[in-house]
Amino acid sequence: MKKVVDVSLPIGPVHPCFKEPARIKCETMGEKVLSAEVEMGYVKKGIEKIMVGRPWQEVMFLAERICGICSVIHNMVFIETVERISDIEVPIRAQYLRVIVNELDRMQSHLLANYSYCYTIEHETLAMYLINLRETVVDQLELITGARITCAYIIPGGVRFDLRDEDAETLKAALDKCEKDISRFVKIFEEGPLIALRSKDVGIITKEEIIASQAAGPTARASGVDFDHRLNHPTYQKLDFKPIVLNSCDNYARIMLRFKELFQSIELIRECLKRLEGLKGETIRGGGEVGEGEFTWTGEAPRGGLTYHVKTNRYGHVEEISVQTPSIMNMDACAHYMLKGADSAADITAVFISSDPCISCNER
Amino acid sequence: MFSIICYLKEFLRAEWIKKFLFAKTPPLVTPPHYRDFPQLTGKECSHELRCMMICPVPDAIKVLKGEDGKWRPVIYKGHCLRCGLCVEACPDNVLTSGRILEQNEIDRTSLLGTYHLVIDNKLCMKCGNCSVACPINKEIDPRLAHNATSSNDDVIMRIKNSKLTILHPEKCTGCKTCEETCPNRAIRVYRRVEAVQD
Amino acid sequence: MSIIQSIKNKVRQRSIHVCYVNVGSCNGCDIEILACLAPRYDIEQYGIYVHNNPREADILLITGAFTEQWEDKLKHLWDLIPEPKAAITIGNCPVSGCAYNRRGARIDPPVSKHIPVAANIPGCPPRPTEIIGTILELAPVVFKDYEEKKAKEAAETERKTKGAKK
Ligand code: SF4
Ligand code: SF4
Ligand code: SF4
Ligand code: SF4
Repeated sequence: MKKVVDVSLPIGPVHPCFKEPARIKCETMGEKVLSAEVEMGYVKKGIEKIMVGRPWQEVMFLAERICGICSVIHNMVFIETVERISDIEVPIRAQYLRVIVNELDRMQSHLLANYSYCYTIEHETLAMYLINLRETVVDQLELITGARITCAYIIPGGVRFDLRDEDAETLKAALDKCEKDISRFVKIFEEGPLIALRSKDVGIITKEEIIASQAAGPTARASGVDFDHRLNHPTYQKLDFKPIVLNSCDNYARIMLRFKELFQSIELIRECLKRLEGLKGETIRGGGEVGEGEFTWTGEAPRGGLTYHVKTNRYGHVEEISVQTPSIMNMDACAHYMLKGADSAADITAVFISSDPCISCNER
Repeated sequence: MFSIICYLKEFLRAEWIKKFLFAKTPPLVTPPHYRDFPQLTGKECSHELRCMMICPVPDAIKVLKGEDGKWRPVIYKGHCLRCGLCVEACPDNVLTSGRILEQNEIDRTSLLGTYHLVIDNKLCMKCGNCSVACPINKEIDPRLAHNATSSNDDVIMRIKNSKLTILHPEKCTGCKTCEETCPNRAIRVYRRVEAVQD
Repeated sequence: MSIIQSIKNKVRQRSIHVCYVNVGSCNGCDIEILACLAPRYDIEQYGIYVHNNPREADILLITGAFTEQWEDKLKHLWDLIPEPKAAITIGNCPVSGCAYNRRGARIDPPVSKHIPVAANIPGCPPRPTEIIGTILELAPVVFKDYEEKKAKEAAETERKTKGAKK
């Protein structure tokens, strides 16, 4: 059967709703979207290629600069990979500090994702609340690591700086504030009639489709896939981590899941802080030089599983590296399953943003 | 009607108008713990070049000789990414940025670097450029010239019996000058850094 | 200075429309621009509106290290912006290519090679306060007496061409 297409609608690369350049091409009939395709390549820099032949102290910064939104997890997964290659032990205090920074980063990333979504569906009040709360979280990151976004905190064998006692108190107070504020925002989000209209039953992707498209992270967990790479992480195992799963498969579920993960992150950080109290005065760096070997390791980024495959030479310089980021699967799932059959062209950007695409991660 | 008057009354107050038109968020300050561009502390630089060796980006930091004949690191804005590694690596605390110095003193942490010279004998064509260009070699044996043969046994490397031999790899400061001047990329300098705490 | 001009100066300073474009950044700088929107910094109180629509922008904020894909597109985008206009580059990337500036990277910094850039804000990424400060500092300088300057310039070029003809 020949498809009857009214308009081929390109959105982007520079579009008010997008933080990054990408182009969605939609074939529409009336308001209905028949098919969609994501076109990329606007920010391809070839980072993996320039990582080759460099020591960890340079690759670490390049890894961080694959994505500025989830920079800490890139740093963490790369460093953990080289640690596993060269059997470097991490002191227990440093492990908990890593989790704290990683969860703070996840919080700011989720807040930003939900901000983008609320902004896209034109609920600007909630969007502004969320991005203002993100400032509080970023402040805590700055307090611990000294930088707002590209923190460069995790290094082989430990972390850069210790957490001071007075900073731990500030962090606790900020967490209380975040918890209070987020519960308020969740209420706004749950009760808003406009939000429900734009989010519920929009952009549906079933569990089977998730498995077929290999989508990851919150996008998959909002459709009932019970998996999170943090389950494999030794420190998270110590913290009794359990993933959160929702089953309603739509935009609403994806945003709600991120809100729920925010609470979970807060709990994780609190637990870490409690355990750190008993570890005062312990070392935060174990030393150890990066050696020769090859390893593949996956961590849970705010958007899903992030995999690094690294091969190093005798002096610890990277010989081969490949990075797999979750966004590529999420965007694929978004274009081929969620957007297909969307009822209105206005939903295209909302659905796209709800899967939290990160184009820098994708293209590197 | 009544409500409109009420609103008008509310909005016509000078205070409200002033607030509406001139409200500003309080001036924002950069917190002291923010890692800004590294600043000089005024301590004397011993020209060990550890900052230059650890810096992850090209051309961000150079140690230059000032007019008074003293060495001094210079940070280039637009290149430096404010990572603070140079502050941590400097053995003389010449640079400072945010709380890094202070925190490192509390934690007793530092970064140590070692350098390894590797020559690919298949690629090397014994031109001697590397040995001539090496600033350490030049200091040890100023007479080392174009064919890079030297009678001095203290040099890092020299050409002997038409073979490039490395004598003292431990003297290398990791500057990569040799790597850059080699026409064949036959010599490689590996900078290896270890993060330690005592 | 005519009255109209002084009014224009005043108005232009208080209403700056901003469009930002990512020509190959890591997102770090983009989210710092977004953070400027937050009530904490409240960029709109200074009359700066982030529209992200080049056709109504006064100032173009550029982040990123200029990838090959943008070769022709950035120039096109720049031409779409109505006069008077100015471009500000944000972060290290558009100045030097930041950490990416290595052999083999598919980037082509600096951005000032491709379009005229009025100012740049170093840092990786710069703080939101630094971004707001620079925009506020730059806007009056670029937009002040724009019409008069332009008239002068036109007269100058006319004189020159006439001179050349003679
Ligand atoms: S702060 Fe980092 S990027 Fe800047 S000069 Fe020091 S080591 Fe280089
Ligand atoms: S890196 Fe090369 S040029 Fe520099 S000190 Fe070492 S041997 Fe000499
Ligand atoms: S410069 Fe290169 S080719 Fe020449 S002697 Fe040194 S290593 Fe060999
Ligand atoms: S300057 Fe730094 S933070 Fe900004 S885009 Fe470039 S790498 Fe990312």
